[in-house]
Amino acid sequence: TVAEQSTSIPLPGVNVFIKGTTTGTTTDFDGNYQIKVNTGDIIVFSYVGYKAQEKQYTGQTSLNILLGEDTAQLEEIVIIGYGSVKKEDLTGSVDVVSSKDFNKGTVVSADQLLNGKAPGVRITSAGGQPDAKPNIRIRGGASLSANSNPLIVIDGIAVDNSNPAGVNNPLTLVNPNDIESFSILKDASATAIYGSRASNGVIIITTKKGTSGEVKFNFSSNISTSTVSDKIDLFDGNQFVDFITTTYPGETDLLGVPVGSVSTNEAVSQIINGREIYNTDWQDAIFRTSMSSDYNFSARANLFEKIPFRASIGYNSTEGIVKTNDYERITASLKFTPKFFEDHLKIDLNAKSIFVDKNNIDNDGALGSAVSFDPTKPVFDNNSPFGGFYTNLSDQGNIDGASNPLALLLQRSRPEKVSKILGNIEFDYKMHFLPELRAVVNLGLEASRAEIVETFTDNALATYQSTDSGDFVFNPGVNYRENQHITNTTLESYLVYRKEFDNFFINNFDIQGGYSYQNFKNDGNKEQYRYADDTGLRIRDIKNDDAYFNELNLQSFFGRSNINLFNKYLVTVSFRADGSSLFRKDKRWGYFPAAALAWKLKEESFLRDVDFVNDIKIRVGWGETGQQDITDIAGFYPSTPLFEAGSSTSQYLSGVAIYNAKPFNDDLTWEKTTTYNLGIDFDFFNSNVFSGSFDIFKRETTDLLVRAPVGPGQGLTNVFPKNVGETESEGFELNLNLNAIRKDNVNFSINGNIAYNKTEIVSLKDVTVIDSPDSGIPTGTGVNLAFNVVGLEAHSAWVFKQIYDLDGRPILGAFVDLNDDGIIDNDDRYYTPLRPNWTFGFGFNFNYKNWDLSSSFRGQLDGKMYNARRLSRGYTEAALPNNTQNLNNTLNFFSDAADPNFTNRRGNIPFSDYFIEDASFLRCENIVLGYTFNQLFKNTNLKLYAAVNNAFLITNYSGQDPENFNAIDDNFYPRPRVYSFGVNLDF
Amino acid sequence: CTDDLNTEPKVELSLDELLAQDPNAVEGIVSRLYASFALSGVQGPDKSDISDNAGESPFLRGIINLQDFTADGMKNRWGDDGLDQLTTTSDWDENNKFFRYLFNRVYFTIPQCNNLLAVANNISIENKESVIAEVRFLRALAYYYLIDTFGKGVLATEENFGDSAPLPEASRAELFAFVEAELIEVEAALPATNSYGRASKAAGQMLLAKLYMNAEVYVGTSRYDDALVLINKVIDEGGYSLAPDFVSLFSADNETSTEIIFPLIADADTSQSFGNTTYIVNGSLSTETMVLADFGANDGWTGHRATKAWYGLYGDLGTSTDDRASLFWTTGHNFEMADYREWKDGYPSIKFRNTNFNGSPIITAFSGTDFPLFRLADTYLMYAECTLRGASGGAINTALQYVNAVRTRSNASTIMQSELTLDFLIDERGRELNLEGHRRSDLIRFGMFTGSSYIWPWKGNVVGGTSIPDSYKLFPIPLAALQANPNLTQNPGF
Repeated sequence: TVAEQSTSIPLPGVNVFIKGTTTGTTTDFDGNYQIKVNTGDIIVFSYVGYKAQEKQYTGQTSLNILLGEDTAQLEEIVIIGYGSVKKEDLTGSVDVVSSKDFNKGTVVSADQLLNGKAPGVRITSAGGQPDAKPNIRIRGGASLSANSNPLIVIDGIAVDNSNPAGVNNPLTLVNPNDIESFSILKDASATAIYGSRASNGVIIITTKKGTSGEVKFNFSSNISTSTVSDKIDLFDGNQFVDFITTTYPGETDLLGVPVGSVSTNEAVSQIINGREIYNTDWQDAIFRTSMSSDYNFSARANLFEKIPFRASIGYNSTEGIVKTNDYERITASLKFTPKFFEDHLKIDLNAKSIFVDKNNIDNDGALGSAVSFDPTKPVFDNNSPFGGFYTNLSDQGNIDGASNPLALLLQRSRPEKVSKILGNIEFDYKMHFLPELRAVVNLGLEASRAEIVETFTDNALATYQSTDSGDFVFNPGVNYRENQHITNTTLESYLVYRKEFDNFFINNFDIQGGYSYQNFKNDGNKEQYRYADDTGLRIRDIKNDDAYFNELNLQSFFGRSNINLFNKYLVTVSFRADGSSLFRKDKRWGYFPAAALAWKLKEESFLRDVDFVNDIKIRVGWGETGQQDITDIAGFYPSTPLFEAGSSTSQYLSGVAIYNAKPFNDDLTWEKTTTYNLGIDFDFFNSNVFSGSFDIFKRETTDLLVRAPVGPGQGLTNVFPKNVGETESEGFELNLNLNAIRKDNVNFSINGNIAYNKTEIVSLKDVTVIDSPDSGIPTGTGVNLAFNVVGLEAHSAWVFKQIYDLDGRPILGAFVDLNDDGIIDNDDRYYTPLRPNWTFGFGFNFNYKNWDLSSSFRGQLDGKMYNARRLSRGYTEAALPNNTQNLNNTLNFFSDAADPNFTNRRGNIPFSDYFIEDASFLRCENIVLGYTFNQLFKNTNLKLYAAVNNAFLITNYSGQDPENFNAIDDNFYPRPRVYSFGVNLDF
Repeated sequence: CTDDLNTEPKVELSLDELLAQDPNAVEGIVSRLYASFALSGVQGPDKSDISDNAGESPFLRGIINLQDFTADGMKNRWGDDGLDQLTTTSDWDENNKFFRYLFNRVYFTIPQCNNLLAVANNISIENKESVIAEVRFLRALAYYYLIDTFGKGVLATEENFGDSAPLPEASRAELFAFVEAELIEVEAALPATNSYGRASKAAGQMLLAKLYMNAEVYVGTSRYDDALVLINKVIDEGGYSLAPDFVSLFSADNETSTEIIFPLIADADTSQSFGNTTYIVNGSLSTETMVLADFGANDGWTGHRATKAWYGLYGDLGTSTDDRASLFWTTGHNFEMADYREWKDGYPSIKFRNTNFNGSPIITAFSGTDFPLFRLADTYLMYAECTLRGASGGAINTALQYVNAVRTRSNASTIMQSELTLDFLIDERGRELNLEGHRRSDLIRFGMFTGSSYIWPWKGNVVGGTSIPDSYKLFPIPLAALQANPNLTQNPGF
């Protein structure tokens, strides 16, 4: 019998073989085995995750073995595309982040577990919302206009790139507590097997499995409270009075409200010229100290002693720190991993279901108004027709100036409900007649239903309308409705032939070939409403995108072979043919080869006996991958000439329904990325004391899918995706782990990573500059800050060089005449890249007896941020009424929040590099202190912990937060600081 | 299974599917071609056909910006990135987004027209000949603005539609010849009368007449004789008559006008755009000094004011009998425009409004006033101009009669034949037609736009006005266009 060392539970599936032969067997479910041996043979017992044992046969009739867990080895099986491989046999650049490395504390979505943990993986959340959209870039991303997010594979199913309606973060749709590990595939030799969707890397998420032993339960819970970590430094009411009376004395009459005109409990701080001055902090009015909780229960068992099984349920309720931004999620998961026919057939069945209900708020409206609303006005007014919220009206009865931000939040509800299931069943059959040959079939289904209803309450500010007769009415009610069905199906099947040899130069090899089919269908309808001038009612606003139906089909044929020569040289070659429905039939197929070579130096005679080197391996990889996902910018039928109907507000000739010919480009084809990677993995001193990896890479993308200008008159619009560019990236990643102390009672380990990545645009064909999307700055309309310029990094700001006076203060509107022609014009602007090249993360774990303390940090060493808050609220005239009778708050000119030299922002002022600041930072992601009660009861372990997430931030950036994907800081939803307390009970 | 790669849309339709589904489909496509001059797109006023901002970029807004704000009579105070340079007629460069907007709109309309013309012979269309003539008229109209503003481009037609190699540059003369030939060819097929908003024969004649009127500027040969022939046809055969009241032409119910030869339609409910007359009406209003409801608007953008170069043409506004002199908002405003950025400097024009001329008041977010792109008063003044410029067949008596008809309609005093000079006419065109998208072309034709012979407030970015170089007779070709087609070259001086 073979059993587990600490529990004596029998271990099924243990490999038992005679050393130096292929003769072997495996243990059955009771851990029993039979093998024919000769005296003197050495029997090897090996099992994944356990230390292998060797016993010499000396004529025993039974040989009982206890295998001990090998924590070092547990992580050494690496899940890669269509299979797994031992870490020591890995040829590509793959990072594994497993549960013990995860970020701890309060974690709502999977990306938060990973952030800062893997070198070259930059995860930038869109802000502090519970389901903030993460921008994930592996090695900076290879594409320019096409989707640059990595492919995410959950339990073998490559999930959809587009999210269900109402879901900002697809990684909230898997319960973080169910996740066992992430594999991050970075270079092409690793990703090529995923071909069509892998140009930007692959993140493989593997969820926890059932046990082979006795039933185990886990209950965990976490209660947290979140606060705003940093508010924007604005004038308070009294400072604002000082500012206006000294700077714009003519406007003093607009401060506060006439005495007795409002009815509120709020305190009047002073009275000036018959006007009551309130002291309102509008940020406090919309922010809250929020409470959140998370509960998870899971059971692991071996059903009927045959079917390893895990089930979990989870409930999460997270309150955003902006009022009414509530998020609730229920998750359930089931996993069965039985084996049949003496382990010839392995089945892996996964089902996950998720239900999310959140109230989506008007972020920009609420955050923007909270900053600009005059602080001398009260929040409430019982006399107000707007449901008791103070609102400034013009003489003509129009809402004047900013809307009361608290009213914006409380008078609108927008529940966004999503139910989703993600399930798959994988059959892995080892042929009875030919055990070296396996056939694998994986069927997957990803389906979601989303429902959104946006409603305004009675007397809502947003529904206040003037009528033909000059009166005003409210027209509350439903404003928007959407129902959406997403149904994605996957079929993958492949054959693997694996053969091991003795005393042959090929130690072992495998070869596999297969087919993959993926279909993504997104079907829904919207109802949009508007105020009808002629009837005064809220009516359907028929738009041409009210009903939508988008289908994407991807099919591939792929093959891969791994060859192990002399157990020293590992060779991997793969090839993939990918077809995408986005392209015309004859442009549809792309062919993507890859190859990699690894050299296990440790196996060489000159290192074999060097004790302090446990392992050292050099990897070289090359490969091509493809990119086709331009659905965000060109829809799902970008190569086909099609017509669309017009919206009800965009008709023209009377009595005729308008139709528009949509732009298309039937020349579109695959974008291709070639990656070269050189890497080294090492493990020094006994038992992983010091280990790590270093990778250096170069990447070239050609036939770049770029949203590029169309020759004038030669297309049905002026800008459309074309295959017209090239980018080149290079960089490196270093990952280090040090187990500094490893004693019975004390453990101390440190891990750290740093990565550099620089991607330059080599060519855009005829064009040298195109707009970079999402780079609008809040001045006028359609004003872009950043561009994609040949010869530079993507998303570079185009700015003037600010001139400063002798005191170092900026001189308004004075710029350096860079070309010395005596005129300041666009020729004096220069480009400066915004996104960081250097990112890093580090952390430590410390255990002393039952105590554990851990912390993780991450940050960037460079990168820039355009402080758009300074542009929009950091000039003194921003306080003045703009076509209104209403003052606006500004940044606090009395502190250093803004420079009063900035009286206006006319002309070229918005393009001053004064607004561009260094965005390097160090963030303490979490600090966790825990205590574990071992064997509280029989087989019951209890862990208690306290944690702070987003504990502190060190940066020179003068605004709220330097971490922002578009590098333009405006109306940012602050990332909260979260204090939590949790329990984890294993029984 | 690989057949599944041929995914089929269900909401969008191929041309065949569309034609099978809606018998009026071609009319719907033609409607969109007309709409391309007024709307930002077909998905509501916030969505754009082109990559440029939906609010700022519509065709008509570009015409107003480039023809009126660069000229003497109108200024805007917003100063948005590039608008200052436009409104002060200074520091023009290839990066100015306002030049790009019009260029991109021209080259949106043209290929959309070509797209239909390329298949028109293969599909069944009711009144095919006249529909094709209308589409060719619309394409010619777009080219007309290209010839007038940028002076060159590429010649994209249904013949080369779909070619991906960059088209060769087409000179002003080549584009002129193309538009001339097109308009001559379609004249016969355009219907004498057409449903509202669609091009009639007179619209085609009017466009060709305008091309000929400016031929000396465009190609260096005067064609006033040819212009007059067409003008006579419009006047004699078009069936239009002057509206009895000037203000009715610029009110929300102006679709009933007898004078408008070719309008660009706006509707407060069904044809919403930030770039049709909404731009003119709301842009000229401000709660700072005006009551929005009086003009049927609920939003004032505090943007446009006229200058004394316009309202100075009427003499003393307070005593003038000219109805057109009353269409400035003077209360709270300064006669002089000391700072074009100051709302109160200069008088807002209240020529365009969103109230009905007849009937009950309305207040809507978007303007429902149609824009009179071509109207008979213009034709009358064109007649007089051709005659004064010596066009054969022009009668000075008739010219005087036409000019006085225009003036009398607005209760302005009649003039004597001796007063009817070119100098008088350019002023009369200003009095009658300012803010209708003609002014810059008129000033160039009269040799008054560049140089120092005529200055106006803020010309050349100087409060009193200063000389600007002759290169300003054309706009710079936008950088984006130069990059998108390397065959295009920049205009001299930029």
